[in-house]
Amino acid sequence: MTSDRALVGISNLPNQRYKIVSSNGGTFTLMVCGESGLGKTTFINTLFQTTLKHVDSQRRNQPIKKTVEIDVLRAVLEEKNFSLRVNVVDTPGFGDNVNNNKSWQTIIDFIDDQHDSYMRQEQQPFRTVKFDLRVHAVLYFIRPTGHGLKPLDIETMKRISSRANLIPVIAKSDTLTAQELQDFKIRIRQVIEAQEIRIFTPPLDDSSSPDPALMEHARQLIESMPFAIIGSEEKYDNGQGQMIAARKYPWGLVEVENDSHCDFRKLRSLLLRTNLLDLILSTQKLHYEAYRKLRLEGAGSTEDPSLPTRAPARKLSHNPQFKEEENALKKYFTDQVKAEEQRFRQWEQNIVNERIRLNSDLEEVQAKVKKLEEQVRTLQLRRH
Amino acid sequence: MSSANVLFRRKKDYKRGVAYSVLLVGNSGTGKTTFANNLLESAVFPHRYGMEASEVPNNPRVKVVKPTMVVSYNSKNGIPSYMSQFDASREHLEPGVTITSTTMEISTGAEEPPSRSSVSSDSSSFLQNPDKILFNLVNTHGVGENLDNSMCFDEITGYLEQQFDQVLAEETRIKRNPRFEDTRVHVALYFIEPTGHGLREMDVEMMKRLSRYTNVLPIISRADSFTRAELSKFKKQIMNDVEKYNVPVYKFDVDPEEDDLETIEENQGLALLQPFAVVSSDEKNSNGEYIRSYPWGDLKVDDENVSDLRVLKNVLFGSHFQEFKDTTQNFLYENYRAEKLSTVADWDVDSGKDLSTNKRDSAAPSLSNFASLITTGQFKSSQSLAIPPQSDTPSTPEMNEHSKEVDSPLRQMSQSIRLGNEEIINKIKNSPRINSSGSPDRTKLRNISETVPYVLKHERIIAKQQKLEELEAQSARELQKRIQELEKKAGELKLREKLLRQQHANGSAPSLQSRNSTQSVVSQQSKIKKEESTTDLASIVNGRS
Repeated sequence: MTSDRALVGISNLPNQRYKIVSSNGGTFTLMVCGESGLGKTTFINTLFQTTLKHVDSQRRNQPIKKTVEIDVLRAVLEEKNFSLRVNVVDTPGFGDNVNNNKSWQTIIDFIDDQHDSYMRQEQQPFRTVKFDLRVHAVLYFIRPTGHGLKPLDIETMKRISSRANLIPVIAKSDTLTAQELQDFKIRIRQVIEAQEIRIFTPPLDDSSSPDPALMEHARQLIESMPFAIIGSEEKYDNGQGQMIAARKYPWGLVEVENDSHCDFRKLRSLLLRTNLLDLILSTQKLHYEAYRKLRLEGAGSTEDPSLPTRAPARKLSHNPQFKEEENALKKYFTDQVKAEEQRFRQWEQNIVNERIRLNSDLEEVQAKVKKLEEQVRTLQLRRH
Repeated sequence: MSSANVLFRRKKDYKRGVAYSVLLVGNSGTGKTTFANNLLESAVFPHRYGMEASEVPNNPRVKVVKPTMVVSYNSKNGIPSYMSQFDASREHLEPGVTITSTTMEISTGAEEPPSRSSVSSDSSSFLQNPDKILFNLVNTHGVGENLDNSMCFDEITGYLEQQFDQVLAEETRIKRNPRFEDTRVHVALYFIEPTGHGLREMDVEMMKRLSRYTNVLPIISRADSFTRAELSKFKKQIMNDVEKYNVPVYKFDVDPEEDDLETIEENQGLALLQPFAVVSSDEKNSNGEYIRSYPWGDLKVDDENVSDLRVLKNVLFGSHFQEFKDTTQNFLYENYRAEKLSTVADWDVDSGKDLSTNKRDSAAPSLSNFASLITTGQFKSSQSLAIPPQSDTPSTPEMNEHSKEVDSPLRQMSQSIRLGNEEIINKIKNSPRINSSGSPDRTKLRNISETVPYVLKHERIIAKQQKLEELEAQSARELQKRIQELEKKAGELKLREKLLRQQHANGSAPSLQSRNSTQSVVSQQSKIKKEESTTDLASIVNGRS
């Protein structure tokens, strides 16, 4: 009773805050990136335990030479009255062609564009409504070759890692035995280190009083990077009467949520349970700030005061692939024009020649006429 | 008579061993090497990353005759990437493509291996099961690993064409080499990545190109990434795509009039199974069977419920062994030969020469303008490089002057090739040609038999030379880049030295004495460093001028 009176109510602030936050909900944008056929769609569905995204049957009917596209999927997930707006960005067509040079450009452009649009919304006079699609985490799917990273993987990861939180994962890891997987992970980690690719790691010590259990958890997460994952939308009986997500092979049942089979639980923990806030904050503080700084500084050096109106000259013309195509088209066009001009000139020449010929004919005829007239005159003179 | 002759030749072949060549193509990491080891049931091929060289007792029936060697390659830095050491800091460089070839002797005489017991040995058994197979396994490395994989196609088809050319040249020669080895590839196994979606641009393009020179069998590798339902769906999807894009893969066709019932049944079964799904592994269990052991269970590579490896083995070495050889010889090679000879038959020496010089003009530079290439960083396709049209003397003095100073083995090679080239052309030119005497057909035939080997050789040499020149250009560019880097570094060092000197001059107060001394040491060091880089530069500059 006495303590009740002593409290003013200041300590209720966190609770008020909690109410606001839980009524507002949160936003989380996740990008999945990797070659086709690595189970990106399945993984998304496994992660959120619903069929967010259907396997795209339309893609079959497209021409075999593809361009990288951006595919955004929005969903609202609810758990215990808290709603999370989830945006999943897919990149179909990445790495599918014979020539994959610059195919990362579309992805990089998308990430930059989101930063840019957020920045410009911030600069508006009324900035309450924000359309925020900044990518909080990029899952990069690595093919389980058992060899190492391909140059395409390295180049793409390098570029992504300077713009967003990159989390590399080994897809379809149920095709690698334990020993192979370990060797593969070690090799990938070596490459990541040597190539100076910055991957997202859960912060180890962010407060003055580190929680030993949390620390241990974070360390475990870091140790098992890159995460080896499998995904499945099917559920099977695990022998104890429980239905669990798993893949059923003739030689055994691979359980998705079994730590000895794959790192799916660890990845989910990193993405949602323990480090979702870290992902969002580091996007805001690190990557967005870096982008902002770069843009503002870049604008300062070019002495362009009208920054907000200055759109980045990216879009379509920026993509080197399109540029090449454009150049080819231009060349084709000029060639065509040249050929046509040549043809016209030829035509004109022909006409001129024809005219000269006709003129000379005419002159000849006139000369003949004159001659005849002359003859007629002489004859007339003779007759007279 | 001719069939008896063929039989006789075959008999003779079987004494020496029947040549049989298989090409493995597919993206790296799809398990080609492991598959090859499983196929031969011995650890013949080492792995790219040397995952614990398992001491498997080698199959006594397999004997390596010619160890693995690089037969063709293409890469940016001019060095075949095959078996290069794993270096994490260089992994971002494109590995290019490398083709290796290994020849083995497989004796199959005495006891039948268990995997072949199901072969239907209806017709004369020795035809189906020769005593010895000279097995040539051609493997490709680095396909699909580059950013731009378009050069892989040309490299591989180039290799296949070369094998055809060699046989063609041998056939038309007057005096034949009795020890000639036929290295035409009879079957190409194309490893499809287990995506679960369908064929990709790369797959379609590669299989289409390969099928001009060899029988193509599409194979789903790493089939253990699919559940049973997924696998059958994927197989269906692939066959759909094969139809859709008109990929001419080998089909197990049946001819109801000629084939007997057993063959028809077998082929129909195989056609349903296509594309074969294989699982391969390096691990062996205590029984000596290859297995893959996962935390959730083990699977046997030979298990027919899981993988078609056993069936595939059977097809390759048993039931369709002769079939593959025959289609290669009678259909693919004949087509190629007809095409080639019809272009070569009315091949005029002079026009051909013009053609070659034209080719040369457009080709990239050679070492003789290496210096200019380094300084400008651009190609200078100078006319002097091509063979001067009227020169019958084997070497032009001008060219020699140009290249005297630079002494690299590469240049010598290209030089010798060039000389060889001209010699051949001269030979062809000076070869006695009988015109109008005798029947025209005869002269033509004679012409063909005389010129074809040379022409083919000539073409090959030109191609080789072009490749060498390209390699040269590439390495020159690389070198130039390095020079620029060094120059930049030298400039930086110079700047720093200058700065330090200034500081040194300014800060002559006694209190800074100690710091100065360290500074001077630093400047000394930087000076030394700088000198190193300049000497490096100087040597390069000396070398190139």
